[in-house]
Amino acid sequence: MISVMVFLPLLFALVLLLVPRSNGPVLKAVAFVGAPLTFIMSLSFLHVAPGGIAQDSLRWIGGEVAAAYHVRVDGISLFFVLLTTFVSVPAVWAAFSYADAARLRGYLVLLLLFEWTLLGLFTAGDLLLFYIYWDLMLLPVFLVLVGFAGSPEARRAAWIYLLYNLAGGLVLLAGVVGVVLQSHTFEVLGQSYTLAPVLQRWLFAAFALAFLIKTPAFPFHAWMPATYTQSPTSLVAMVSGVQSKAGLYGLIVFAMPLFPEAAHFFAPTLLVLAVCSILYGALAAIVQNNAKTLIGYSSLSHLGFVLLALFAFNFSSVPASVLMIVSHGVIVAALFLLVGFIEERVGTNDLGAFGGLAAGAPRLAVFMLIVSMAALGLPGLSGFAGEFLILIGAWQTQPVFTSFALIAVVLAAVYVLRLFQSAIHGPLRVPAQSRVGQIIGIQALDGKDSMFDLAPREFWLVVPLLAVIFFLGIWPAWLNDRIPSNANGAAQAAVNEHV
Amino acid sequence: MTIQGVSFDLAILAPILALVITGLLVLLADLLSRSAPRGLLYGIGLAGSAVAFAYMLPLYGRSATTINGAFATDKFAWGFSAVLVLALAVTLLLSSLRNADDGGSPGSYAALLIFCTIGGLVMAGATSLIGIFLGIEELSLALYVLAGSGFPREASQEAALKYVLLGSLASGFLIYGSALLYGAAHSVSIAALAPAAAAMTPLFLVGFALLLVGIAFKLALSPFHLWTPDVYEGSPIAITAFMTVAVKAATFAVLARFVYTVFGHDSVALGPLWLLAILSMLVGSFGALRQRNLKRLLAYSSIAQAGFMVVALAGVGQYGLSSLIFYLVAYAFMNFGAFAIVAMLGDGDEAYADIDAYRALFYRRPWVAAALTLFLFSLAGIPGTAGFFGKLLLLEQGFAGGPWGVALGVALVVGSVVSIYAYFKVIWQMFAPQEGEAPVTTGNSMLSWVPVAVSVAAVLVLGVVPQFFVTLVSAAL
Repeated sequence: MISVMVFLPLLFALVLLLVPRSNGPVLKAVAFVGAPLTFIMSLSFLHVAPGGIAQDSLRWIGGEVAAAYHVRVDGISLFFVLLTTFVSVPAVWAAFSYADAARLRGYLVLLLLFEWTLLGLFTAGDLLLFYIYWDLMLLPVFLVLVGFAGSPEARRAAWIYLLYNLAGGLVLLAGVVGVVLQSHTFEVLGQSYTLAPVLQRWLFAAFALAFLIKTPAFPFHAWMPATYTQSPTSLVAMVSGVQSKAGLYGLIVFAMPLFPEAAHFFAPTLLVLAVCSILYGALAAIVQNNAKTLIGYSSLSHLGFVLLALFAFNFSSVPASVLMIVSHGVIVAALFLLVGFIEERVGTNDLGAFGGLAAGAPRLAVFMLIVSMAALGLPGLSGFAGEFLILIGAWQTQPVFTSFALIAVVLAAVYVLRLFQSAIHGPLRVPAQSRVGQIIGIQALDGKDSMFDLAPREFWLVVPLLAVIFFLGIWPAWLNDRIPSNANGAAQAAVNEHV
Repeated sequence: MTIQGVSFDLAILAPILALVITGLLVLLADLLSRSAPRGLLYGIGLAGSAVAFAYMLPLYGRSATTINGAFATDKFAWGFSAVLVLALAVTLLLSSLRNADDGGSPGSYAALLIFCTIGGLVMAGATSLIGIFLGIEELSLALYVLAGSGFPREASQEAALKYVLLGSLASGFLIYGSALLYGAAHSVSIAALAPAAAAMTPLFLVGFALLLVGIAFKLALSPFHLWTPDVYEGSPIAITAFMTVAVKAATFAVLARFVYTVFGHDSVALGPLWLLAILSMLVGSFGALRQRNLKRLLAYSSIAQAGFMVVALAGVGQYGLSSLIFYLVAYAFMNFGAFAIVAMLGDGDEAYADIDAYRALFYRRPWVAAALTLFLFSLAGIPGTAGFFGKLLLLEQGFAGGPWGVALGVALVVGSVVSIYAYFKVIWQMFAPQEGEAPVTTGNSMLSWVPVAVSVAAVLVLGVVPQFFVTLVSAAL
């Protein structure tokens, strides 16, 4: 069952390849069935939480070193899987307005392949399988940036993205081999190994480096601004909404349980990096003029909170982190989608070049308001719940680091409001060449105040994301209670021992 | 069969004899009909390699010697020999493309290629220093000529000349080293060298060092790689492909047999090999970065790949040999696949040697571009391909080989990261949108798809379900 879900996007991608490139409606129909179907299938695993597990294992490689095709969904990976399948639906749907109709097929195929690799990663129960998907998921992003983003800057960004992440990947591979030489199997989940402390530290460092690059966390974020800014809308929604959680997932599920002592040894370092990410991301976001770059840096800041929670080792570390991860994934995906819609209308992301869109797009303005408020952590929306739980928890064990992190809560208000105000409020101004500019050029704005508002497709694809933002904001316990209290064996054991 | 006190086991020699007969048949056909069609000559060669392979099948897993112990079929010979015969068949297929360079004389071209392979088979099976030298010379002499078979092109002549001059020098090192080793052990048999190696006599060490220089030259290990880029770039595509695979297979057979027979676990005398591996991985990967010519890029890549394969021998571990064979087979398929694509795009000529010619290829010829992407992924070691499992096995060998082995593993990782840029440069070109006029593309004959299709299948199968092949390799050891 799990494998069926994981490979469903791949299957639909292959089906897409059979449809002629010119047949737009059929292409869209196939993609429009594929992504939601995967989401519905992933819902069938809701029953595993809390505490349960669904898994399949097939012998894959035997002999001296064993590996299995082992897929699993447990109380933690369930939410990463759900996040993936859920965010993929609007992301794929948003791609329908991709500019070059002749190349829509390739773009949709790559998005579905990306979803497949992400699902594979979050369900991998075997270290080898995990690593395989870890590397594979770079390829769709690289290819989209090279072939489908359309600008020379994007093609350059593809390099930065690829080399950074593949370098991280190969360091991870070295770490994986190091583990396997001790364990003689790639199936390490749920086992406990007593590795020598020094070895643990080296291996943990290798794992953590790869994971921090992927997240990204300060100071490994150099690939992030270019990638986020240059990616087309759907891709960046998936990269920031889902892929950026892969590293955190790796920390929670693999690195911390495998190397508990090393995790404690490196905790101060990682806390420093977490606080640096939080503050640096927030400060950098304040001065950005490009909307996508701004959101990218805000994401750096928000994911720093998750690192803070994980390495503060307190009772709510894992549940609060997962809540924050899911909530951030949904919020940031919604933000990028909305910014993408704005870009399609005004032809730019430069906050200095446009503004006052509320005048002609009231529904867009309202959506933008809700998502912005969620991003800055307004109570009642999901962003608040995650951040609040993390701060309460972290305060009890790491008050100093936490108090530094608190500064970012104020800074978040500054950059989010700046983004919202300059894009939505004030007098309407847009570049004359853009779509909106031309509409306005022909007819004056009088009376018709929704001339370039969200189309029904754009409207409905954001609504589910908003629903989740409200739902998790009002009832975070729904998610929190589903994370088992002894989540994830050794990680929590390490936590308990520390407390 | 015994002739004058020397016993011959025809079953063991059958693959070589089959190729000898094939080579003579090709020459005969060429002689009898001055206008023998290329298809016929290469067809005889292909049939011959199939027969040779059929004769090899019963030898799988066997360990026996013949010619009074001077020639063997065993774990060192079989896998490498199979790769050699495969290389011959693929090279003949690539040479049959319409515009392929064969020096205007397909008969002698095909015969030389076959004799070259025979030399490789002799190297793989030889258990004495003399046999090894004979094999290397037979292989090399034929290759010197073949490198120049793109005759009217100056680059091809230059390649042949450079290869002859530097190759002869390497042969000199090899024969001098062999002589000193004979002096150290009073025997030309490799097995007899073990006591001298254990005693680390100066004579042995000097001899071994000189021999290693010769071998490193043939393998294009750095710092003895300087001939490689020019020779690989200048030679006809099919011959370049043959060099990168067949010469490596034969020479690695010699090196593996030597290392495993003569040295014990973790021998200090393997230090030079360690150094060669690290240098090759780094020089090859960094050298590939700046190349604008795909043949040259693959030349540097083959230097790095040879370095990777030496990692398998680090520490002379238990699983080193099977890792080496696995990687070699994976490398053979991905490298042949890449060369087959370059060759078929230009229908045999050099039009697609320049990386810029690949711009937007994906949108013109999606299947060709997808296949080349797969081969480059595999060379780069991306998961899901044969190259990934190969690298994984090598990495395990490295890390299991003590602190020096760990250094090899680290160099392997660094080399891989760097070379990824070189491989992805080509992929980048293929997927980036066209700027300016797109070149006219033509289709290819079904025959030219054969090596591509076989390589795609092999790269995927070895990359997704490697188990059966690992079992196959280990069972023969």
